[in-house]
Amino acid sequence: MEAIASSLASGFLLGGIFALTALGLSLVLGVLRLVNLAHGDLLVIGAYAGYFLLTVTGIDPLLGLPLIALALALLAAPLYHFLIRPLMGRGVEAPMMTMFGVSIVLQNLFVVGFSANTRSIETGYSTSSLTVGPATVGWIYVIGFAISVATVVAAHLVVTRTSFGRDLRACAHDSVAAAVIGVNVGRVRMLTFAAGAACTAAGGTLMGLAFSFTPSSGAGFLLNSFAVVVLGGLGSILGTLVAGITIGVLQSLGGVLLGDGYRDLVALVVFLAALIIRPQGLMSMRR
Amino acid sequence: MLRRTVPTAALLFALFTAPVGLADEIVIGASLPLSGALASFGAFQRWGYERAVAEANSAGGIAIGGKRLPVRIVIRDDKTDANVSAGNVETLISREKAVALLGSCTPALVNAGALVAERHRVPMVTGCDPRRAFTGVRQWKYVWDLFFDEADLAEAPFKAITEAGVATNKRVAILHDNGPDGQVVGGQLWPELAKKYGWEVVVSASFPVDNSQFTSIIADAKSNGADILLVDAITPQAVSIRKQIATAGYRPKVLVIEKGAEPAQFGTALGALADGVLVGGYWDPSSPYPGAKELMAAYERETRQPGSQHIADSYVAAKVLLAAIAAAGSLGAEPIDSAIGKTDATLVVGPVRFDAQHFARLPIVSVQWQKGKTVVVWPAAAAGGKLLFPVP
Amino acid sequence: MAATFTEHGRATTRRGLLLTAGGLVVALAACAAAPLYFGDYETQILFRFLVGLVLAEAWNLMAGYTGLVSLGTSSAVGLGGYVLIGLLNHSALPLGLVLVVAAVAGAVLAATAAPGLMRLRGLYFTVGTLALAEALRLVMINAERFGGASGLFLDREPPVQSELLWIATGLLAATWLVLLLADGSRLSVLLRAVRDDEDVAAQLGVRSYRVKLAVFAAASALMAAAGGVQALKLGAIEPYGMFGLRWSIDALSMVIIGGLGQRAGPVVGAAVVVISAELLADYPEAHLALTGVLLIVMMRFAPRGLVGLGADIWARRRLMRGVAS
Repeated sequence: MEAIASSLASGFLLGGIFALTALGLSLVLGVLRLVNLAHGDLLVIGAYAGYFLLTVTGIDPLLGLPLIALALALLAAPLYHFLIRPLMGRGVEAPMMTMFGVSIVLQNLFVVGFSANTRSIETGYSTSSLTVGPATVGWIYVIGFAISVATVVAAHLVVTRTSFGRDLRACAHDSVAAAVIGVNVGRVRMLTFAAGAACTAAGGTLMGLAFSFTPSSGAGFLLNSFAVVVLGGLGSILGTLVAGITIGVLQSLGGVLLGDGYRDLVALVVFLAALIIRPQGLMSMRR
Repeated sequence: MLRRTVPTAALLFALFTAPVGLADEIVIGASLPLSGALASFGAFQRWGYERAVAEANSAGGIAIGGKRLPVRIVIRDDKTDANVSAGNVETLISREKAVALLGSCTPALVNAGALVAERHRVPMVTGCDPRRAFTGVRQWKYVWDLFFDEADLAEAPFKAITEAGVATNKRVAILHDNGPDGQVVGGQLWPELAKKYGWEVVVSASFPVDNSQFTSIIADAKSNGADILLVDAITPQAVSIRKQIATAGYRPKVLVIEKGAEPAQFGTALGALADGVLVGGYWDPSSPYPGAKELMAAYERETRQPGSQHIADSYVAAKVLLAAIAAAGSLGAEPIDSAIGKTDATLVVGPVRFDAQHFARLPIVSVQWQKGKTVVVWPAAAAGGKLLFPVP
Repeated sequence: MAATFTEHGRATTRRGLLLTAGGLVVALAACAAAPLYFGDYETQILFRFLVGLVLAEAWNLMAGYTGLVSLGTSSAVGLGGYVLIGLLNHSALPLGLVLVVAAVAGAVLAATAAPGLMRLRGLYFTVGTLALAEALRLVMINAERFGGASGLFLDREPPVQSELLWIATGLLAATWLVLLLADGSRLSVLLRAVRDDEDVAAQLGVRSYRVKLAVFAAASALMAAAGGVQALKLGAIEPYGMFGLRWSIDALSMVIIGGLGQRAGPVVGAAVVVISAELLADYPEAHLALTGVLLIVMMRFAPRGLVGLGADIWARRRLMRGVAS
């Protein structure tokens, strides 16, 4: 009983963090139609950023989150400008392969620059536990969940309530039509890519706090994020949150019922089933 | 268009057939995981191999037919992919004309390359492939392995705990990855040993090597009140598991994390949380064998990175191979192969002798993380400190 | 889907078809005879090229002709490998038949997954195939019956290098035969109609589901057979290698680098990918970065692939010459 409660509670909270790690992938997929195969490596950059911020300057990575997010956004903007923008409107394959190229370059840089060692961000709160009723969960899950939900809701408000959000939705729906009615599509795309990278980096720092990471951790992160994005519906922000939590809980259910070895498999099978029954995702921006 | 491209492709193939091993050097080859999930192992092994080769060269090379030849080692990255490992070994044999080979790391990668070496009749010495995983593949003729025996590794913590005479409730939880060695140690040997030592297995579970979450099994072990937690996992998972044990509020009195807790990066990544973790090792810088302390010191000085026992088995594998080439006095496969089989030396990992199955067994010691350092706690003869109990 | 398909170099007439077929037969004969004039090393690389080419041709059949961009090549490759090793170890079937069974298994996998996957369009199909491949890998890792994470070993010696090369050449012959059939028959018109506008094609009475299913199954069968040939060569398989994302990425990058939907695209792409991977591996510190940079540069400056780039340059030179005269 206690084990099941703890497991499900952890899955629920972790699912919230998954939503943040997948948010960037979702935005970029929805607005740019870009399958970002370097998404997992951007998460790893976020984890390294948190690690070195703490070990070099002593700044707590959670306090430094805005700084990390800003740095990644500044890094992502030229990446978009020089590599992705020229390929826009030429099908999904070329930009997808470009991002795969970026992914392997990044992995090489991690190994050469930081060694292949396993790392983990060590703070007091990343390993202390909280007991509520029958359930015991890690504090980092609770903190990460709060940060993630706040970020996702903020992103939702930006997209639904601001003029930039209106432009963004127009681009996601039909970029040609958006350009005709006077939306600066190039600017919207660049800002979306940068904002996506910022969210991804923040998610990566949280993953580094809760788990461990190596230069090649990106691939696992990427697959997890894909499941969340497609389940939630491409580009749907609140859908991402719902899907993240759903997957977190389902993984835990799989872990409780079949063992932790089947955790990822259960999530994937449910994801495939959901994809087939409802291909547009749980909540879709484009009806 | 096709009719034009095929000859072009053929031309391209012909273009890079140039580099061929010159007769005035001894070429040995190695495929290593320098990128991908096992990149950290590859980095240690590469250093070990290259150090042994550098030592041979600074001693003036190896005498073949009365002439001293320098040794050149060619290393290729297998990206932690068995397909690439096999392909690399092919290239090392057919293009580089390597006269002998050194192995990769973990059974999947070692065996893939070793099968190619065996088929092409090129001698190979490897570490990093435990006894059952290596000898279970086939009866080898050209491939030799020096590493630990899964049975020794599995029993070490049982002996260490029993001999220390500490009090536990004898309830044990087992959590192991389902890689070849994890399956043997965690899936077969530990349950058998638990029965033999009169411990009760209350939870037992396996997971894929690259799993990242363990909350369910940890919660299960905690609610079953297991005092002893036995884990077999590679380092990234080992670190995640240790963190998740803490975040679940679970406090086992004995915590064993085989494989993953061994490299110094485990302690670096976890800080104080590493303290009390037990792990089996086949080598430690405090080993009483010649050059042990110097080897680790050299690694840490040259790379400015924390070391691992993997520098020792790779260094010794290369030493054994180079000594065999020197003893054979020839670059022929048969003389080198039979010279490897006659190896009988005490090297930095201890005495090395191969059995009929081409395996040299390295003895296991139990080490424990204490105040950020590893201390040998079992067997008593080799111990540098006492068992820290319970886990803080 | 923006598969920029050109009519360039395409066999539409009966005479053109015969010429193409003749050229392919010469190329196949050259491959089969390679052990006579190539050394071990070149033969090994040629083998890798042939396996890669079969994957790329099969992938191109799907993407270039029907717009299905798959990231699930590895699911068929891995399945084929496991079927081949399993049957060789536990049955007395001859090798040729075992390869056919492996191919059939690939087709069955496609037919089983199709009712779900085929409902997905565009990006959803791509991500769906990726998820399928990953799910299969996880199943195999956990399936102790099939060797779990340790995998399976072939219990006999694999064929020698030259025989392996002949098997791979035979597989390529089968692949090209499938492509010629798809090209020369009424099917090709249907295929392109489905790719260009599925809805319109459906209104015109094309049963787009059946057409796509046939292509998906044929491509999967070829990929599974290629996986079988690779497993036969290795003599040892495990889920991480056989179901690895690498196969999917390789097939995709070969076609994209060569030129999507171009007749000669896979040949050029497979040659570039296999040779560059082999040569760059000589620089273990930088080979990943170099591979990545190569890919990025190719995408940036030759988005229609090397064949497309070559065709553009050729056309421009002809135009210049025409202006000059």
